[in-house]
Amino acid sequence: MEHLLSYIVFIPLIGAILVLLTPKAYQHLYRVLAIGSTGLTLLLTLFAIQAFDGGLIPQISGETNLQMVEKSEWFSLKLGSLGTMSVDYFMGADGLNISMLLLAAIVLFIGAIACWKIKEKQKAYFSLYLLLSTSVLGCFVALDFFLFYLFFEFMLLPMYFLIGIWGGPRREYAAIKFFLYTLAGSILILIVMIGLYNSVYDPVKTAEMAGLSLTDYSIADIQSMVSEGEIESEALVKSFNMLNMADSANYIPGSLLDRYGSVATIFGQPARWIAFLAILIGFAIKLPAFPFHTWLPDAHVEAPTPISVVLAGILLKVGGYGLIRTAYAIFPDAAFHYAWLIGFIGMFSIIYGAMNALAQKDLKKLIAFSSVSHMGFVLLGLAAMTSEGVSGAIYQMFSHGLISSMLFLIAGVIYDRTHDRMIENYGGLAHQMPKYTAFVGIAFFASLGLPGFSGFVAELFVFLGAFKSASVIGAIPAWMAIVSTLGLVLAAGYYLWTFQKMFLGKFWVKDKKWASDLKDLTIREYLMLVPLVILIIAFGVYPAFLLDLINSGVESFINHLTASI
Amino acid sequence: MIGLALQKADGLAEQLQSLTEGVAYLWPEITLVAGLLMVLLFDLIFKKKKEIGLAAISMSVLAFLLVAQLISFVPDLEPKDLFVGLVTVSSGAALFKIGFTLTALVALIMAVQSKKYSKEYFSSSEWLISLFGLLLGAFLMTGSSNLLMIYISVEVVSISSYLLTGLGKGLKKSEAALKYLLYGAAASAVMLYGMSWLYGLTGSLDINTDTFIVGINSAQPMTLNIAIFMVLVGILFKLGAFPLHIWSPDVYQATPIPTVTVFSIVPKLAAVFVLFRMVSSTHSTDFDWTLWLGILAIGGMTIGNFSALWQRNAKRMLAYSSIAHAAFMLSGILLLNRTGIEATVFYGFVYLLMNLAAFYLIQFFENEAGTVDYDSFKGLGKSMPYLSVLLLVVMISLTGLPPLAGFNAKLYLFSAVYDQYSSSGEKILLWVFVFGLLNTVVSLFYYIRIPYLLFFKPDNQTIAGQRQFNWHMIWGTLLVLPLFLLFFRSDWFVDLLNSINFVF
Repeated sequence: MEHLLSYIVFIPLIGAILVLLTPKAYQHLYRVLAIGSTGLTLLLTLFAIQAFDGGLIPQISGETNLQMVEKSEWFSLKLGSLGTMSVDYFMGADGLNISMLLLAAIVLFIGAIACWKIKEKQKAYFSLYLLLSTSVLGCFVALDFFLFYLFFEFMLLPMYFLIGIWGGPRREYAAIKFFLYTLAGSILILIVMIGLYNSVYDPVKTAEMAGLSLTDYSIADIQSMVSEGEIESEALVKSFNMLNMADSANYIPGSLLDRYGSVATIFGQPARWIAFLAILIGFAIKLPAFPFHTWLPDAHVEAPTPISVVLAGILLKVGGYGLIRTAYAIFPDAAFHYAWLIGFIGMFSIIYGAMNALAQKDLKKLIAFSSVSHMGFVLLGLAAMTSEGVSGAIYQMFSHGLISSMLFLIAGVIYDRTHDRMIENYGGLAHQMPKYTAFVGIAFFASLGLPGFSGFVAELFVFLGAFKSASVIGAIPAWMAIVSTLGLVLAAGYYLWTFQKMFLGKFWVKDKKWASDLKDLTIREYLMLVPLVILIIAFGVYPAFLLDLINSGVESFINHLTASI
Repeated sequence: MIGLALQKADGLAEQLQSLTEGVAYLWPEITLVAGLLMVLLFDLIFKKKKEIGLAAISMSVLAFLLVAQLISFVPDLEPKDLFVGLVTVSSGAALFKIGFTLTALVALIMAVQSKKYSKEYFSSSEWLISLFGLLLGAFLMTGSSNLLMIYISVEVVSISSYLLTGLGKGLKKSEAALKYLLYGAAASAVMLYGMSWLYGLTGSLDINTDTFIVGINSAQPMTLNIAIFMVLVGILFKLGAFPLHIWSPDVYQATPIPTVTVFSIVPKLAAVFVLFRMVSSTHSTDFDWTLWLGILAIGGMTIGNFSALWQRNAKRMLAYSSIAHAAFMLSGILLLNRTGIEATVFYGFVYLLMNLAAFYLIQFFENEAGTVDYDSFKGLGKSMPYLSVLLLVVMISLTGLPPLAGFNAKLYLFSAVYDQYSSSGEKILLWVFVFGLLNTVVSLFYYIRIPYLLFFKPDNQTIAGQRQFNWHMIWGTLLVLPLFLLFFRSDWFVDLLNSINFVF
């Protein structure tokens, strides 16, 4: 099927337009449109997974074996001495993003079902939700930095309104905090993006511009001609192609971010290191990692349930995916140089997030901090720079996407009934809501990393990778892995403790009136939770399904990293 | 000096012929003067019900001018000196003039729609005459290649601006007009003094002649620096740039929105053009344009953005925002190269479009709510959703986020800065680059403020009947659409800029 990725990305946008065009008298149709368009997206994504050949080994720094590619020129500008700047509409799938696409489609669909209860300003809500869906999906498949940045930034505005209008009591503060933090991050990314596209040329387009036929010259010939200075600088076509940027042969000799030749410095540090740090901070804010995580608890606590689900389930993963696709793939040398720092931040986030979670009284805040802790594993796995570590990081993103979605849905169930999320206000809920308790149990155990659930596989891989790192590549020391295991113990602590306080013992609630409100799960809630449980268990007992999708990509990624260190 | 120049021409006949030939090139200015006279005469002849007539005359003159300029626009025109070097016509100037005419036309339309001011504006010819005068001055500013001409045209703009500010009654207005006048008079005096130094240093007033260039390159550095600084004072004043920006918030606040629209665009862009001229004829001297403009740019962005944070009035906020935007344009000019010029012009035109849309929509809300204090925006998103969304779009574009033209404008500008930094390694450029982009985060906070009030706050006033269709929706859409267009297909405009012969 041609243009499959475009359909996947833009069907929610069409849904949003349909919502806007549907008159208010038919507002019951809005949620149907939302569920319908995200459902269609999910179907098409499953179709893409089916069509995706996990055996093809992609090239991280080029387009070989990239699948479902869509590439056409968007615009190109002559910028005087800057040469030509060329922006493509460029999408594609490989082992690094196919799993994220699947995750996004699943979570967006379940999130759309969770939107069912929204009653206020439905038109605005559902159109914003669908706009958000398009930008998130686009983020994962865009391979042109300009396009990626467009989707990346466009997530912020719908999110700002979704938190700010439909959120809890302190929604306005949370919304602007989210917006400012993530905008600061994306400006750092923009700074690096400008630096990158000014330093990188597209060999294919440059050949075209210089009048060289690719049948006579190979790409390597062109690259050597540029580095020899045989092609004049006006003929260079600078591109936003992320895959080109990952190939260090594509850097213009003498440009600031050129790896070879004289090392350019900014403030006494090599420019590439500074650029890597900027992009690292940019995505670490999104991830979020300590000390850039403070927007997350606020945003989560105030956001309505479906938005929390999307935020935890997918938006945080954009940060991790961005690190893999841009920071690591483009600056492997700097990534290796800063591996210790990244590993340490990862480790610290794991412990710090878990300790904070222990201290929370609000169920949603607890889950938010557990997210910080779990996303720390992503950083740790990446910092290890081993194939287990990176597989673990991707697996952790996928698994956490499902588990945290479920956790926020669970928090939403109780909030819907009593409008109170304080852990201490409940006790012995198991008597009143046995089925709900069972689901909570599954979610908690999955999140604390019990074997048989997807989280276990992910964390196991991360630990394996982190342990091996010292002997294989020497990126991070083994003690980081050892200290990080403490995070598991703490996770067991806060989850079991919470479970015991809220669900075990004699039934007790703070307000007597709640007792009649606390009914067990409804059909709609089953509809959201059951598929998640099935997926969490399926990916826990049969990890091969996901690993087959990502393995070739990860192998190639690791080869790319080790080759360029 | 004019006499000296005249002697160069061979015979009287030839001189006369070159003068009459020159007149033909000034048809836009002549049309403006004709329009001005027509408005004046109409005002004198008719006694009652002048509003419709005055509006119709002025609008049709401007519409004619806009169309005629668009039709006759030639991108790669060879620049031509007229009137023995006093005026230079060029494609770049023609492009700017089109922008000015468009602005004035939209301002006129806004003035007609303004509930508060349309009577005052059109009951007599004063406002229209001042507006035409300002436009004429701005036209001449883009054409001046002679210090004297620059001074005169800047003064024409200034005097018209004082008049526009002071028109009508009100203590605030008089205060703002007086402040503006005093400030402006001082600034132009300093500029004139600086020009006299330049003349003393070079012996020429025509900044494109060899005499001027040779003279200025051999001038004593200290004297030259002081002279250029003094000239810069006048230009920065017109540009509303840091540190000569203090007048603008008061003036913006006291002046009706259609006038502010013109103020925020026309004199600024005209000043940008004059700055291009000054820079291009003095860039090889000891005056370190890159350093000084860089400092002014960083200062302006920071002061403008941070001051805007504390405002509680949409017009004052946009005044500070325009100070910040002027600083961004300075960071394109300081590159002293073709890429910088193109990026600045692109930025300038996106700024023009954004401000037209912003003020149009702000005025719509003023018509509905009575004031443009922040409080009056509360909850209006509910009763006027479509126009509120349009205002949100404009604010996002002013912040510089995709998918709007404001993003591309910033991207090109800072790409040019970055490129120059990577080839020259001048530290100030890096600071401009980093500061400029990080300032986006600050600016978001105040730009999102009005949409925040529109959508987040409960309705505190009942304005009924706005949900259904009205013509403002069409006008607003027309003004906002270019912002999307210039994001998704910015190559169309950049290709045009590529083909323009920017010679100053």
